[in-house]
Amino acid sequence: MSIAEPRKAAVQPMWFEKIPAGWWALVLILLTMPAWANDFVLFQVMGWTFILGMIALSLMFLAGYGGMVSLIQMSVAAMAGYMVAIFGNSGMGEISMGLPWWLYLPIAVAIAALFGTLVGALAVRTEGIYTIMITLAIAAAFFYFTRQNYTIFNGYSGFNLVVPPPLFGVDWRAPMPFYYLTLGCAAICYLVVVYVSRSPFGLSLQGVRDNPRRMAALGFNVTAHRVAAYTFASVIAAIGGILLAWQNAQIAPGTAGIPAVIDILVIAVVGGITRPIGPFIGALIYVLLRTFSPDVLLAFGLSGERFKLLIGLGFLAIVFFSPDGVLGLWERWRNRRARGQDPLTGEDP
Amino acid sequence: MSLTEQTGAAERLGSVSSGNALELRGVTKMFGALAAIRDITLTVGSGERRAVLGSNGAGKTTLFNCVTGDFLPTSGTIRLFGEDVTRFPAHERIRRGLRRTYQISLLFNGLTVADNVYLACRGVSRGRFSFLRPRENDTLLGRADELIEAVHLAPWCDTSVANLSYGQQRQLEIALALAGAPRIILFDEPAAGLSPTERAELVSILNGLPGHIGYIIIEHDMDVALRVAESVTMMHNGMIFKEGTPEEIENDQEVQELYLGDGHG
Amino acid sequence: MQGFLQRHPIWSIIIALVAAVFLWLIFATWSEEMVEVMGRKRVFLNAIFGGITLGALYFLVASGFTLIFGLMRNVNLAHGSLYLLGGYLGFEVSELTGSWLLAFPVVFIIVAIVGIILQNQVFRRMEGEELRQTMVTIGLSVVIADLLLWTWGGQSYTIYSPDWLSGPMTLPIVSSIRDSGEVVYLRYPAVRMAILFAAIVIGIAMWLVLNKTKLGMLVRAGVDDREMLAASGVRIQYVFLAVFAFGAGLAGMAGIVGGTFQSLSPGEDTRFLLASLVVVIVGGMGSIPGAAIGALIIGLSEQLGLVYAPTYSVVFTFLIMAAVLAFRPQGLLGETR
Repeated sequence: MSIAEPRKAAVQPMWFEKIPAGWWALVLILLTMPAWANDFVLFQVMGWTFILGMIALSLMFLAGYGGMVSLIQMSVAAMAGYMVAIFGNSGMGEISMGLPWWLYLPIAVAIAALFGTLVGALAVRTEGIYTIMITLAIAAAFFYFTRQNYTIFNGYSGFNLVVPPPLFGVDWRAPMPFYYLTLGCAAICYLVVVYVSRSPFGLSLQGVRDNPRRMAALGFNVTAHRVAAYTFASVIAAIGGILLAWQNAQIAPGTAGIPAVIDILVIAVVGGITRPIGPFIGALIYVLLRTFSPDVLLAFGLSGERFKLLIGLGFLAIVFFSPDGVLGLWERWRNRRARGQDPLTGEDP
Repeated sequence: MSLTEQTGAAERLGSVSSGNALELRGVTKMFGALAAIRDITLTVGSGERRAVLGSNGAGKTTLFNCVTGDFLPTSGTIRLFGEDVTRFPAHERIRRGLRRTYQISLLFNGLTVADNVYLACRGVSRGRFSFLRPRENDTLLGRADELIEAVHLAPWCDTSVANLSYGQQRQLEIALALAGAPRIILFDEPAAGLSPTERAELVSILNGLPGHIGYIIIEHDMDVALRVAESVTMMHNGMIFKEGTPEEIENDQEVQELYLGDGHG
Repeated sequence: MQGFLQRHPIWSIIIALVAAVFLWLIFATWSEEMVEVMGRKRVFLNAIFGGITLGALYFLVASGFTLIFGLMRNVNLAHGSLYLLGGYLGFEVSELTGSWLLAFPVVFIIVAIVGIILQNQVFRRMEGEELRQTMVTIGLSVVIADLLLWTWGGQSYTIYSPDWLSGPMTLPIVSSIRDSGEVVYLRYPAVRMAILFAAIVIGIAMWLVLNKTKLGMLVRAGVDDREMLAASGVRIQYVFLAVFAFGAGLAGMAGIVGGTFQSLSPGEDTRFLLASLVVVIVGGMGSIPGAAIGALIIGLSEQLGLVYAPTYSVVFTFLIMAAVLAFRPQGLLGETR
C-alpha cells in the first residue's frame, strides 16, 4: 500500500490486473442488478444504501483518516438538500427560486461545503471526544433552527416535491435511472476517497491523525489540513444529501434530526471506519434492518417499532466486540481460517 | 533535487540572513508558578554544532519546545536566521529551515517508513494540499528514498512504523529531521536507548552531515556529546550555567562536581 | 477571584456592568418609555425567573455530566436517558405513594444503581478508550430510549407537585405600580422557587464536598493525575463508582424536577443531553462552577430569546456556544488542556 511500491516491481502489471476477482464480481452484480431485482429493491433498498453510504463515507474520511469523529455530516447533507429545494424547484413556490439545474446544484454543494467548513473550523479547535460533543451540539442547533425558521427553511414542514431535473428526457426518480444515478455517484465518491487517501493531502491527514504535533514539526499547518478535510468530506456529504432529498422528494428538519445524525455514526462504525468500503457495508446492513426488521419482529409477536432496539443492540455489540466494525470481524475470520490452513509454518498470513 | 543542489539553495538562503542561525534573548517559560527555563540567552552560529548538557529537569527539552514553537515562551525573543519567530506557529518555523527530533519517537504509526519520510519531504515543499497522487518519477519520492538509504532503513521501506524496532524508530526519527533543506536541527537525546554499535553509527551520521547544517544536541552520554559538538552549553535549574568548548567544559571543576560527578559516579 | 480581576480587568468590568444592568432592570420601577421599548416589566421578570429556573434544572442535569466527564474523561451521551428514566420512575413513585418528596430518594437510589451497573459492567471494561466509551454511550442511549418508549409509550406525563408547593408565592420585587399608587409585587410559582433553591443548595454542597473533603480531594486528584492516584494505593475504581453513581442519581432527580415543571415524553432525553452538552461546552468541561455559569447563561438566553425573538431563541444558544468555542475553546471556566 505504499507509494513507493509500484516502482519496485520489475514487470508492472496493468492496473486492472491488480484488482481482485471479488471486486469484478461485485461490479458485475451491481451493474446487472436492474435486470433481476424488483423496483422496491432498486429504489428503496439499494438507492438508500448508496445515499446513506455516501454520507457515512464522508464521516469515515474524517474519522478514519483524520481521526475526527464528526456528527455534523448528516446536517451538511440536509443543508445541501435544503439548498436544492430553495434555489431549485419545490412545492413551496414562494420560497423556491426555480434556477436551472446547472446553477442550483453547484450552489447547493458549495453552500453545504461552506457550512461544513465553518463547523469544522470551530470543531478542530478541540480534539477527540470533544469533537463529538461539539458537532452533536451544532447538529442539534441546525435541526431546531430549520424547524423554527419559516422564512428560509419553511419550518416544521420543510419542502416537498423536491425532484431531480428531467435531464436527457429521463425521469431520474424512476427506480432504474435512480439506481444507476446513486450507484454512479457512490462509485465516484468511493473511488475519489480511495485515490485521495494516497495523495499528499490524504497522507498528511493520516499523519495528522497519528501525530499532530510531529506534523507541525515537519512544516504542516495542522489546523488548515483538518479544516480542509471537513471541506472535502462536506462535498461528499452534500452529494449524498441532494440525492436523499430527491429520493424522498422532500426535505424537512427531521431529515437531520438527532436520530438521523446518530444513525450515520452507527452506519459508519458498524461497517468499519478504517476503510472506505465500510460505510457502504454498514449502510446496507442498516437499510436491510430498517426495511425488513418490522416484519421479522411482528413474526415474533413484537411491535415493528422495536427495530431501533435491534439497531441499538447491534451497534453496541459491534462496539463491544469489534471496534473496527463488520469489516474487522470479516478480516479476523479470514485470518483465522488462513492460519488454520497453514499449521506447519504457523505464520501470520 | 540532488544533495548538491540543496546545499546550494541552503547556502544562498544562508547568505541573505545574518550569520547567526539561532538567537535567544531572555527566553523564559513558566508553567504556573514554576519556571521551566529562566532568562535563557543563547546564540548559535550558522553551521555551528552545539551540545546542551544538564541533569534531568534542567529545562533542555523545554528549551527545544520553545524554539520549535510547541510552546510559546512566557517572555523573551527567539530569532531564526535573523528573523523574529517568537510568535510564529511551529510549521512556519520548520519552513524556515528548522528541524527537530523528539526524545520519545513521535512517528506516524499507522503509516509505512516510506510514507513517513515522504510526508517529511512534503511538509517543507509545496503541494501539501495536493489531491493528486505523486507520479512515479516524483522528485520527492526519490529524495525520500535517498533519506531512507542514508539512515540504513531501505529494507524496511514498506514496513509499518508500529512494527519497527526501537533503534530503527530512532533512525527514522533522524531521517524525518533531515528532510527538505534543513539549516539547523535540534536533536533531543538521539542516542538514548541505543546499543554501543548504534551509538557509533549515530556519531558517524552526525559527523557526516554537510557542513552548512548546524545542530543543537541534547545528550546525556558525554562520550557522544563531546565527539559531535564544537561547543557546549551547560544548563542547570532552567538557567544557562556555563558555556565553552568541550575541553573547557570537561575540565571545569564546577561542572564536574555538578554533573559529571553524579552523572557518571 | 482576586487573580481573575487582576488578569482580566476589562472582562471583569464588562461582566460587572452586565450584572449591574440586569439587577437594575429587575429591581427598578420601569418608566413609561422603557415599557414602550421592552414591553411590560412582568413579562421581562417572568422571562428572567423562567431562565434562572431553567438554568437551575440544566445545572442539575449538567453537573452530573460534567463531574463524570471531569473524572473519567467519559462523555456519557446516555446521560439524557438517565434523566428521562428518572422522570418516569419519579412519576410512578409519586402516583403510587402520593408523595412527591419520597420520589426523590427512591429515584436517586435506583438511577444511581443503574449508573453503578453501567460503570462497573461497561465502562470499566474499556478504560482509557475514550472514543469507544463514548460510542457505547450512544448505543446505550438508543437502546434505553426505545425501552422507555416501549414501557411508557409516546404520551407525555406531568408530575404533580404537592399542595404545599402549588400555587404562586409573592416575591419582594416590584412588578408594576398601578395608577392608584398601589404597588404590585411579582408572583411566581412556589415550586419553581423551591427548585431554584434546591439547585443552589446542591451546587454549593457539591462545591464544598469537592473542595473541602477528603473524598473531594481524591476526585480532584483523579482529575489531575490518574496514574498518580492509582499508584498511591487509592482504590480508584471505588471513586469512579461513587462519582458515576452520584452523577447518574442527580440526573434521575433532575428528571423528577423536569417532569414537575415541564413534562416528560420521548425526545426529552436528547433535549436534556444537548442542553448538558451546550452547558458544559460553554462553562468548561469538568468544572462545577463552570456548569453553574453555563446553565445560567443558556437558561437565560433561551427564555429571554423565547420572549423577545421567538424564532431565533435556538440561534442565540448556538451563537453563545460558537463564540465561546471560537475565543475560549476550553470553555469559560475550563482548564487549558
